[in-house]
This record gives sequence, structure tokens and C-alpha cells, in this order.
Amino acid sequence: MSAVTAEAAVQAAFRDEWGRVVATLIRRTGDWDLAEECTQEAFTQALTSWDRDGVPAKPGAWLTTVAGNRAIDRRRRAARGAELAELAAIDQLRTQDSDYGQDADADEEEPEVIEDDRLRLMFTCCHPALALEARVALTLRTLAGLTTAEIAHAFLVPEPTMAKRLVRAKAKIAAAAIPYRVPPPELLPERTSGVLAVLYLLFNEGYSASSGDELIRAALCDEAIRLAHLLRRLMPDEPEADALLALMLLQHSRRNARLDANGDLITLEDQDRSRWHHDEIAEAEALLADRGIGSHPPTPTNPTPTNPTIGTYRLQAEIASCHVQSDVDWRRVASLYEALELAMPSPVVRLNRAVAVAMADDLDAGLTLVDELAQRGELSNYHLLPAVRADLLRRRGDTDEALAEYERALALAPSETERRFLQGRIEELRPS
Amino acid sequence: MNYLMLICTDGVSTPEIAATMQEHAPAWAEEMDARGVRLLGNGLKGLETARTVRVRDGETLVSDGPFVEAKEYIGGLDILDCESLDEAIEVAAKHPVSWFFSIEVRPFAQPVNMPDGWSYQQVRYLLMLCLDGILEADEVEEQLRRDLDAWREMADRRGVRLLGGALAPPATATTVRVRDGETLLTDGPFVETKEYLGGIDILNCATMDEALELAESHPLARFHMVEVRPFWGA
Repeated sequence: MSAVTAEAAVQAAFRDEWGRVVATLIRRTGDWDLAEECTQEAFTQALTSWDRDGVPAKPGAWLTTVAGNRAIDRRRRAARGAELAELAAIDQLRTQDSDYGQDADADEEEPEVIEDDRLRLMFTCCHPALALEARVALTLRTLAGLTTAEIAHAFLVPEPTMAKRLVRAKAKIAAAAIPYRVPPPELLPERTSGVLAVLYLLFNEGYSASSGDELIRAALCDEAIRLAHLLRRLMPDEPEADALLALMLLQHSRRNARLDANGDLITLEDQDRSRWHHDEIAEAEALLADRGIGSHPPTPTNPTPTNPTIGTYRLQAEIASCHVQSDVDWRRVASLYEALELAMPSPVVRLNRAVAVAMADDLDAGLTLVDELAQRGELSNYHLLPAVRADLLRRRGDTDEALAEYERALALAPSETERRFLQGRIEELRPS
Repeated sequence: MNYLMLICTDGVSTPEIAATMQEHAPAWAEEMDARGVRLLGNGLKGLETARTVRVRDGETLVSDGPFVEAKEYIGGLDILDCESLDEAIEVAAKHPVSWFFSIEVRPFAQPVNMPDGWSYQQVRYLLMLCLDGILEADEVEEQLRRDLDAWREMADRRGVRLLGGALAPPATATTVRVRDGETLLTDGPFVETKEYLGGIDILNCATMDEALELAESHPLARFHMVEVRPFWGA
């Protein structure tokens, strides 16, 4: 086995196995730092062992065994001189008698137990007693294996700040006894939506790309999608896990077409569809088709679907799906937004609904909705409110009014990209 | 795991709140006692009865009121014994105070020893040990720990201390609120201040004067502050 191949195998295993190994080690030792450190060491050892002995048949089991043995060794060293009883307790950690790395192809625990470990880890990282920013950081560190430096970079905070955030979160888990488990049935729905929210936040952090390193941000989207795939595998009966994955795939599929060569935003209708990732769109559509919203899809004849069993991610995924069709069914989009607003009242959702209503050939009705929002003083500092109003006025041919609204949006726009986009619109409209 | 549950209110009550408390609080205590998750709990008298004790350069300074003035204040406490934070949150969320105000749940640094044969008649005064977050030199901290052990031994010997202990740092706290039937959690204490509650002692002494004297002799009064609060019934 050549060095290159062993290295490639370790790299591949890192993506697939890091979270799995850490998750199992946390369950066995109850010590998050020990679990991370020993997992790191197992990967380091794999570089030499796999080069020498070949890549094991089950890399994950090999890594788990090696990391587990490292943990036992460390505890033995720490407990030297301690009571024999303590040593006996440590011995219970050992699940098989093997010297690390030699014949450690298989860990003898039930595969289902090991598989559940990652779900335990996911729920614990996303526990609502932790600060939201800590949940995100912990998920990326322990489950996805990003380094503290990478996470700090992605969230534009100094590395020591991120390190402190992680240390604090882990200290709270230990000191306050946040349980390492999949929540019991009565807590499951609430906690599951908490996990979904963290994954979507992670995705949006990467997707919004308002600042920061593009590469790192794309990596956040990839990680969010990877974790959503994992969650879906671990919770096959959770329709919102499917829907969130579909939603992220649909948004991410347009990543190469969203910005032009100058980094300027391109609106959906002007994007080069050949640059979309159609395989991802197909995957998302298949996810949505599998779950079928059956007789409940909102239609022009049934414009106000109120079926409460359709989750909010499902509705958002359906909307995203409408947007990738070559001919967008705006009436369907409008009624989906209406359903979303019922489930999740928010002025931003209403603003989106206004756009859809306007595009579904009722510009005036759309403008009325926008005006109502403006009159209520909601979103008064949100640049998209005047931007949307400007766009609808432009479509109606009210150039002067549109120009004034674009100027208002320009003054509020938070990113350079968006300012350039609005400036472009202003220049198009301004009489030459 | 033992948790301290701090009942936090802003003192503004309405007939509706008062009625809800009257209806649900005793039932809550009864249920949690029966489940074995509540070891002890009691309300505290109003803030006008609070005294804060500091000893500086051998001089005792007693001021009226709590160690930190905030809109929300501690109106009572419960000591819980729960299998995990999830259970402590569930217990807190069932307490009617969390439906209107907040409840802070904080782990104790060590298990709490409940004395044999104690009774509620012994739950009379609360010492809240308020730390200023400034660490002294190592040898001073070391001496402080020894003094603290000696103080507790003395108070136990005199039979004036029921129980007590150090709390885990405020960063391990979780604040529980229930609104519209939904349990809302916040990471951290109910009010973030420079000074924070670092531990408690529950005293079984006859009078407020005796409680103040015990607070004055408390080693933490020399570097930090000790707030004295009478429980209901004291």
C-alpha cells in the first residue's frame, strides 16, 4: 500500500468516521475532550498503520477501537496509584482485548448502538440549554470534525473566542449534566426542530455570503447538507428532516449561478440555468416526491391550505422547488407562502408572499400587501422592503416612484454585493 | 445531580397570577416531593428584609437590600435531585412561577448532604454567598477554602447550619420560562451581573441578629459579600 493511498483512505475516513468515532467515545467515557483527543490520535496512527498494514476492512471500527484503547491508556495513566476498584471500572470501557491497531478490525458493539451515538451527539450538541452560537460551533467541531480555527474563520470571530465558546459549552454539558441521549418521545418533536434549526442556521451562515471567506462559507453549506443527510438516515420517519435536506439542496444547487464574475448577485430569473447542479435538484425533487403532500398541495382552486401536518421546512422546500421550474407557478408559490405565514407568522414571510402575489399577475394586490407592511412600520430597517416595492413599481412602469424606493433600499443594504445590485437597477431606470 | 432552583420574580403580581400560584404551587411541591426530585424548598420574605454583609479591614458593613439591585429578584428556592438537566428543566417548567417569571436552574458543585431528621422549622435564614468574580492570590484562595471548611464545621457544631454548598459557575446555569405552553430556555443566569451567587448556606438560628452575626463571621464576607434573607416562617 503506497503512502498516498493510505493518506487518501485516512482523509476519506475522516469525513465519514470522525463524528461516529467521537460520538461513541463520548458515550463510553463521558468526557468530550478525551473523546476528541483520542479520536485525533487514532487518525494520526491510521496514517502509519494503514500504510504499513493496509487499510482495514472496516476503517470506522478500527478507528473506534484504537481511539477507545487510547482513552483507556490515558485513564490508566491518570489513575496510577488510585484504587484498584477504579481500574476495574476503567476496564469496563474496554470492549475487546486487542492491542491497538493490530487486529482491531471490528468493534464488538452492536452496530445500531454505534449508529445511535451520532444521533445522541447531534441532540446533545443542539441542546436548547446551550447558547445557539455554542450549539452551532459544537456541532461543527465534534460532529463534523472542523478545527476550532476553521469554525472561528467561518464565523468571523477570533480563534481564542471560539475556543472559549467550545470550552464553555463542554463545561456546561458536564457540570449541569446535559444528558447524552436521544430525547424521550415527549421531548422529541421539540428537540428535533431544534436540531433542524441549527442545521439550517449553519447552512444559511454559509449561503448568505454577506461577508467572509467564500471557500469556508461554501464548506459550511456542504457540512450542513452532509449533516442533514445523516440526520435523515438516523431519523427516517421525520418528514421535516427530508424537507430540510431538500430545501438546502435546492438552494445550494444554484451556487454557481447566483453571482456573476464581479461577485454581483444575479436574480433567479436571470440566472444561467445550465450552471445549476441539476443532480442536486433531482435529489431534492425525489425527496419531496417520496413524501408527497398528497391531496393537500395548495392550488389556485384551494389557495389557502391549512393542513397543519405540513411542516414549515416542507413548505419552504416546495417553494424552492417551484423556483427551479423553468416556468414558475407563481400562484402556487403565493399560496405556499400563505400557508407558511399561517404556520410561522413573520413580516419577512409576508413580504415574500407579496412578491409571489404580484408575480402571479396581480401586481396591485402585491403592492397593497407591501404597503400594509410599510404602514405598520414593520421591517422599517430591512432593505428588502423598499427593494421589493421598487421592483414591483418598476414592473408596473412607475419609474419615478421605483427610483425613489431603490434609493431607500440602497441606503439600508447591508452588503456591497447588494448595493451594487441596487445601483445597477437605478442606473437602468434613470433616464439617460 | 443536585440543582439549585431559584425562583425569580419581579414582584409585580396580578390577581390572576396570585390565583394561579395559589392553585398550582402547593400541588407542584407535593408532586415533586412525592417523586423524590425535590429535597427542600421554601419562599423568602420580601426584599425589604434583606441585608448584605461585608467585612473590610476588620470593619463590618451591613447594608439594606440585596447584593445586586435588579428588576427581577430571588423570591425563593428549591433544592432538586434530578437525573439530568432535562429532568430539572421539566420540574422547573411545571412550577407556576416559570409561566409568568423565570426560574434559574444551577447545578451544585458537589452533592448536597441532607441532614437526617431535618424539618421545615429549621429552614429559617438563607446566606447567599455573592462572589465578585475576582480571584485572590493562590495562597489567599487556599486559606479562604480552609477558613470556609472551619466556618461550616463551627456552624454545624453549634447546630445553627442546616445545609449548604458551593454552586457550579453561573455559566452552567439555565433559565427556564414557559410562555404559551412552550418551554423557553436561556443559557446562563436570569440576570447577568458582575457579582454572582457562588453558593448558599441555610441556617437554623433563632433570630435575624444571629444570622447577621454568622454572616459577619463567614469567611467570604471578608473578600466578597453575604446576603442574608429570612425564609417564610422565620
